[in-house]
Amino acid sequence: MASLLSFLVAASLGSFSVSIFDYLFQTSSILENKVLEQIRLPRVLLAGIVGASLGISGASLQGLFRNPLADPGLIGVSAGAALGASVVIVLGSSFIPDYIFGPFILPLSAIMGAALVIYLLYLFTKGFGYQGVTYMLLVGIAVNALASVGIGILTFISSDSELRGLTFWTMGSFGAANWTLVLPAIIVILITILLLIPYSRQLDLLQLGEPEAYRLGVDVKSLKFRVIISSAIVVGISVSLSGMIGFVGLVVPHLMRLLGGVNHNYLLPASALFGATIMIVADLLSRILIQPAELPVGLLTSAIGAPFFLWLIFRIRKT
Amino acid sequence: MTIKLSNISYQVNDLVILNDVSLEIKNGEVLSLVGPNGAGKSTLLNIMTGDLEPTNGCVRYEKYNLKDLDIIDRSFYRGVMSQAQQIVFDFSVKEIIEMGWIEKGVSSYSNDFSKAVKEISSLCDLENLLERKFNRLSGGEQRRVHFARTLLQLWRPSNSKDPIFMLLDEPTANLDLYYEIKLMEIIKMKANEGVGVFLIMHDLNLAAKYSNRIALMSDGSLIQVDTPINILDPSLLKRIYNLDMSVDKATMKVSYF
Repeated sequence: MASLLSFLVAASLGSFSVSIFDYLFQTSSILENKVLEQIRLPRVLLAGIVGASLGISGASLQGLFRNPLADPGLIGVSAGAALGASVVIVLGSSFIPDYIFGPFILPLSAIMGAALVIYLLYLFTKGFGYQGVTYMLLVGIAVNALASVGIGILTFISSDSELRGLTFWTMGSFGAANWTLVLPAIIVILITILLLIPYSRQLDLLQLGEPEAYRLGVDVKSLKFRVIISSAIVVGISVSLSGMIGFVGLVVPHLMRLLGGVNHNYLLPASALFGATIMIVADLLSRILIQPAELPVGLLTSAIGAPFFLWLIFRIRKT
Repeated sequence: MTIKLSNISYQVNDLVILNDVSLEIKNGEVLSLVGPNGAGKSTLLNIMTGDLEPTNGCVRYEKYNLKDLDIIDRSFYRGVMSQAQQIVFDFSVKEIIEMGWIEKGVSSYSNDFSKAVKEISSLCDLENLLERKFNRLSGGEQRRVHFARTLLQLWRPSNSKDPIFMLLDEPTANLDLYYEIKLMEIIKMKANEGVGVFLIMHDLNLAAKYSNRIALMSDGSLIQVDTPINILDPSLLKRIYNLDMSVDKATMKVSYF
């Protein structure tokens, strides 16, 4: 297992070096070192950190809900963030002058949207309490639907250019990356991930069922709180900076389980590392496939993720 | 050293599930709880483990009130096996057993971990299944794995004086005849080593053979707690189970058909 983990680290570094190689290559051709440092490097880092966020929150939420189909979208965080962002995209230009928050207004609003959804979830489940995870999933679905209504209304009243902005945002992109936004995001997300990983053994025990986990010394309520809040933070920030990116949170943990087992001690870091790797590669592809234009990266991950997921399902059915 | 339930009542809205139950489980004894479906046996077990808070009454582990013990301490004093839930992801048998190595155990005796796992897998005849996927095992085999996990939770070095308790809800369900007896023998052995054992049983014959005392429960109340020979009384059993039974006092066997 350790060797597999180191292999994954290597794979991640490998793809990193590919993108850095690409970066160096571009540098030599354009000779605008400084500009590229300001654009390419934060972009690759952002892609990595967003991939890691989606991967680890997918893995930990699947563990928490004991459901292989759970992903960050399920508890409504992504939808909440999307709602927050839509408010800014559609209403922002007419109501909020640019100079107030500058570049932070879109991510901040998205984070507030995600926080609002988590707060609602917290309220309806009485502090992520003992009603069981099915109840929480149902509340998540309902909150999700509410957020979609909000987005729908905003879409309906938006002008043509705002609509275009909305559509591209929902397809995801790392194009807006710059150090002012990326640096604080990286710090917060890394800390949250590092605080989450020590709880992997408790997630293992939870697989026996909530009563059994409690009897083995797991404070189930606080575990739920921790996992959900952590996921909300990392996914909320990620979505706010890059838009909606589908399938990574769902598929990456499955792939990691096939490769190295279901132990969360391995699964959480592996999903973070592989999520980062896959996202950096996807972003690289989105940049070079139809140069000089760019594919929305969320489109790319879904286009690759969905068939891969189908293949996975058929494979599992055969064995 | 005991687990002591004093005047436990449990009520959901107006429905009385347990009514003034007092019971004591001593270290070194096997106490079986028997009674018809819906008598409140599992609820009583859940109150004993701390899963449920009683409406009235209190549970004490030794000198501690259960309410004052934190979740990790509770897991140190008592191991529980109940009707297991389905496990979604594909853990190996070894991984499931190792989940019994609780936080407090890990820090106290971490050097003994592999020894303990080995000892217990061999005791439960699971050595050949360790690398298999848990979800591919039969119901009875899965049950034995959970039992081994409970044993690992309560594993102590032989010189330990910790008061520990094993609370098992129908441990022999799904087991074949060989492992039914084998598991009861292990339970008896643990009791002889000083563990306090509380069992919920349906098989009166097994309960009679392996218990020091039997508690008979019906409609949320304890009817009688006594030695097997006194509990296996045809008229008493007829009243509780509404079934004609004959008891052979010499072999302590109950026949009901």
